[in-house]
Amino acid sequence: MKLGGIRHRMLLAAVLPVALIAVLLAAVFLFTRFDDINAAHRQRARSLARQLATACEYGLFSGNVSQLRTLAGGALREADVRSVAIVNAQGQVLAHAGKPSYQTQPLLDRQEREHFEPNADLDLLLQPIAATQVPLDDLFEAQVSTVGGAAQTAPAQLLLGHVLIEFSRESLNQRARQMLLTGIAITLGGLLFGALLAARLGRGVIRPIARVSQLIERIGAGELSARAEVLPDDPLREVQQGLNVMAQRLESGRDELEQRIATATQALREKKEEAETATLAKSRFLAAASHDLRQPMHALGMFVARLAQLPHDAPTTHLIGNLEASVQALQDLLDGLLDVSRLEAQAVQVQLRPFALADLFEQLRASLSLTAQQKGLRLRVRPTQVWVLSDSALLHRILLNLLSNALRYTPAGSVLLACRSGADGQHVRIEVWDSGIGIAPEHQSAVFKEFYQIGNSERDRNKGQGLGLSIVERSAQLLGYPLQMRSSLGHGTRFSLRVPLAPPGVALERRSPLRPRTFEDIAGLRVLVIEDDQLVREALVSLLTSWRVEVAVADGMAMALALLKSAAAPDVIMADYRLRDGENGIEVIHQLRALAGQPIPACLISGDTDATLMQAAAVASLTLLQKPVRPAKLRSLLRRLSRAVQADGGDGA
Amino acid sequence: MLVSLRLLLLTFWLGCLAAPTGQAATVVIVSSELSPAYAQAAESLERELERTGWSRHDMLQLTAAELAGAGVLTPKLFVALGAQAANALALAPLKAPVLCALLPRSSFERVLRSSGRKASSQFSALYLDQPLSRQLGLIQLALPEARRIGVLWGPDSQAQAPTLRTLAQARGLTLLEANVEQGELLFPGLKAALEGADVLLALADPQVFNSSSIQNILLTSFRAGVPLVAFSPAYVRAGALLALHVTPEQIGQQAATIVGGVLQGKALSVTPLYSQDFSVAVNEHVARSLGLRLDAVALRTLLRQREAAP
Repeated sequence: MKLGGIRHRMLLAAVLPVALIAVLLAAVFLFTRFDDINAAHRQRARSLARQLATACEYGLFSGNVSQLRTLAGGALREADVRSVAIVNAQGQVLAHAGKPSYQTQPLLDRQEREHFEPNADLDLLLQPIAATQVPLDDLFEAQVSTVGGAAQTAPAQLLLGHVLIEFSRESLNQRARQMLLTGIAITLGGLLFGALLAARLGRGVIRPIARVSQLIERIGAGELSARAEVLPDDPLREVQQGLNVMAQRLESGRDELEQRIATATQALREKKEEAETATLAKSRFLAAASHDLRQPMHALGMFVARLAQLPHDAPTTHLIGNLEASVQALQDLLDGLLDVSRLEAQAVQVQLRPFALADLFEQLRASLSLTAQQKGLRLRVRPTQVWVLSDSALLHRILLNLLSNALRYTPAGSVLLACRSGADGQHVRIEVWDSGIGIAPEHQSAVFKEFYQIGNSERDRNKGQGLGLSIVERSAQLLGYPLQMRSSLGHGTRFSLRVPLAPPGVALERRSPLRPRTFEDIAGLRVLVIEDDQLVREALVSLLTSWRVEVAVADGMAMALALLKSAAAPDVIMADYRLRDGENGIEVIHQLRALAGQPIPACLISGDTDATLMQAAAVASLTLLQKPVRPAKLRSLLRRLSRAVQADGGDGA
Repeated sequence: MLVSLRLLLLTFWLGCLAAPTGQAATVVIVSSELSPAYAQAAESLERELERTGWSRHDMLQLTAAELAGAGVLTPKLFVALGAQAANALALAPLKAPVLCALLPRSSFERVLRSSGRKASSQFSALYLDQPLSRQLGLIQLALPEARRIGVLWGPDSQAQAPTLRTLAQARGLTLLEANVEQGELLFPGLKAALEGADVLLALADPQVFNSSSIQNILLTSFRAGVPLVAFSPAYVRAGALLALHVTPEQIGQQAATIVGGVLQGKALSVTPLYSQDFSVAVNEHVARSLGLRLDAVALRTLLRQREAAP
């Protein structure tokens, strides 16, 4: 459309002057020619009239009418002559030919006259006929003029009569018309030729412009590989060359940029992969380390527990006490590392369910009251009736860590666990207060980092491993709970956690608000232990036996099944997850239950921190104990499982 | 240089002499105008007088226009050259006789009529036209076969008709006459005069023969095969066969003779005179086309001889 505009303008610019000149020239030449043929016509008419007048002179002198008629007839035969009349001096028509257009005779005098009849397109010429003067220079004549006076003066030239001759302008007009037509035809032809020439020449300019325009459009559309074909006679050759250079530079620039981006991306990817590999390696290392550490640790804990049960002298008892503390610290560290690694590996699945916060608080109080007591601190748990919608395990871990931390860093005073209703009625704020040493503002953002401990550069084991707050933060993040910390140095610390309330419609039932303590002693409980590792198996058997539990031991499925067939079914099955020959604990438990024909309470023990294992355990509704299993924990589990046995037995009884 | 100086001195002397002695001139020549014919006639006159012993101081040349301012003139004779001069002198109260020359008879007679004079020894003339007898003589000499002579009479020439008839009859010639009245068309008369004529004799009459009519007259006569005998060489140049005429020199010479006679005490002729000398002009082309061989000089000589013979 734009190009069309240019084309039209160019055509106009080229044709307009040509048209102007052609029209002007044609007009000038035509008018000149019209004048010429007009003048020629008039001249011819006049000379014909004069010739006729001369020829008529003697005829008029002699009154020879027939001669005059002949002359008139002859004149009529001349082209364009319409009528001829020869009039004598008295105005009498002596001869005529043709039909005159005038009705009355025009004025006749000595002048040559001309009348134009516009209606008839006729020219009427009046030509006086005078006698030819012969110069005589005669004395005889001269006397008359002087003596005779004016009255007798002979006429200077004797007027014999007139010729009236009419000429038609028809042929003249026809010629003029023809000339006009020819002129117009030539003008139009010239214009056409000019227009064609202009269009043809214009195309030579328009085409390159169109090409350049298209090229620019293509480049604008991102087709940087587009190039103009540079022709040697192109008027826009330099522009096209410039465009080509521009496109080339753009293209090379883009390619270079893409190359760089690709390189950078590649480097980033490599870095990322490196980092991922490193992380994976770290996780693998941690998992492997925790698994491999767990097995002996597990055994060690159980051995030490067993050892403590034996009667010793005072120094040995003290030594065993220290040993127990060391094992405890080692287990705590291992638990912490395990938690961190699981959280980091995103192996922890959040399982939200409504539960009573009071249960959780009670567990925490039970777990930590001894520690507080030993440290001479007061652990206060404010009772609550609130139900929350959360993952009880994760929340328990958060609060346990916070409370442990509070107990650890509080030399004297008390630690408070409380729950406050939120302002919106949708949340509660669980708070952990201590009257401890507090955290200086410059350390407040750093305390959540792993292994960060203020004022523990010697890494005193009693001061913990520095993993607690890190685990707290990660768990809170996983749950999506905002964690707030307010602390001032020397005035204690307060942590608060915003936890959503359980929806009001949930059946708010506490499964066992009051734990029956009827079967505190697990003595006499028949436990089938399936463990392939001999060391662990012996430690476990030793520990269980010290609790006066009847233990049957199997190192694999075949032996367990054999035991089940040969003896009565155990009260509780305790199976290691990873067994020899590809067997696993869940399968063994299923087989045993199937064989026994009843759902024998069972639990899994594993050194793996694999998420799939945890899921599998959850699917099978089996309690999973992570190695190293603390004797206390194991005992409480057995106690819980034995309650199920007792309930079953009660039901059965 | 010397010549021009002399001329200048002469002019001065003449100028000094002329004014006081104007009245003293013996002969006053009055020309109608200063055209060559008058000048030639005057010059011829003066030369002839000089030759016969007169001084140029005795002669005064004037034009008709100058006459009125010339003061009182008391010459022995006035010579009028041309009709206008004749008219002027005729109207002036003069004591001296007047000789009118270089004018046709018709003009002289008109001057007489208009001035109320009569031809006398005081007022006489030397005609420009030729006597009719001489014209007829020339015709008979040049065209011996011609018997019938066509004549066109106009208002001015009418008076000569009886004379011509008499002369023609005496010579055994027939006249074919036609009259052309004032304002009448020329052609019918001309045609009548030419009908059966052997020759057309043109007599001076401006109403008939003038510069406008002569072409057509000549054309008509030529077509009719009738030669024209005219009275002036100009007609011969225009196409007439013959012309009998007198040249201004010849007039001047004869006038000088008359003047000389008057100065010697003779009186002027009471009757106007025709010129004694004459010339003949021939248009050789016309003659040849008519199959004639005419020699102007021979004709003149012959005519003179015949006139001289009794």
